[in-house]
Amino acid sequence: MRRAPLAWAVLLLAGLAGCQATPSRLPEAEPPPAAACRWASPAGPAPVVAALEAEGFVIRHTEASLGLVSAERARPAVFHGAPEPDIFLLGRHGHVGGGVLVGGGLGVLDDEATGIERVSVVAGGATVRVSRDLRLFDWRGELRRARTASDAGFCRELREAIRRRAEEDA
Amino acid sequence: MRRRLLAAGLALWLAGCATAPPPAVPATRTLEAAPAAVLEEAMALLMARGYVIRHADVELGRLEAVIARWPGYRLRLRVAPAEAGSRLAITAHRGDRPLPPALAEPLIAALGRRLSARP
Repeated sequence: MRRAPLAWAVLLLAGLAGCQATPSRLPEAEPPPAAACRWASPAGPAPVVAALEAEGFVIRHTEASLGLVSAERARPAVFHGAPEPDIFLLGRHGHVGGGVLVGGGLGVLDDEATGIERVSVVAGGATVRVSRDLRLFDWRGELRRARTASDAGFCRELREAIRRRAEEDA
Repeated sequence: MRRRLLAAGLALWLAGCATAPPPAVPATRTLEAAPAAVLEEAMALLMARGYVIRHADVELGRLEAVIARWPGYRLRLRVAPAEAGSRLAITAHRGDRPLPPALAEPLIAALGRRLSARP
């Protein structure tokens, strides 16, 4: 009988500790940015802006003196998520595309979501550098997935698009 | 009794999560380089580590970088001219909570090495 309050106290402390959790170091991309996300080129920010806009990105910020272009792109996506207790118990999941629930809280929900890509490109010196990440928000606007995405495929395509734009401008 | 304990525990737990974040304390350092050079090298260093640069302004002496590691991290750099070069201040946030300045110290040290290696 005496163990119950103690168990609650331990649980409570664990919960509070979770709220205050502090990492031991600042995070870095895992895996690190691909080598293809850095290449030698005299291209300036202008063809970078044109190439990103042609790919559906919205330019959020530029700083010409640093050669920086920061942009983002939103695309519809599907969230393949594990079911949540609140969705089952409170019945809040009355949305189009709701999933199949199989007894006892087991099941998988596929739902509408929005993927947001953020990308920064620095051009203007002898080298072009790219970094990118991806975040997935569910239909309630809650962040569901977040990962770094400076991958070789994206960077190769962007490099080619920038090259084409630079040639057209020349 | 058990229900009361549960309710009290839950209320305390939620209160712990809901407390207002304390003010961010920056990690600061004086660097022997002009503010523009500090921002340029900081940008290169952060991008090499996978950070996306959301904003940078040489005149304002500021840079903001983010990385999509759960629940989201944000770094803010302020650079001002100083007698020996630049005064750099970095604040880091995890979600909406500030991180201890000690976490930014290795980043400042790496930035100092990069600036020293500049031709």
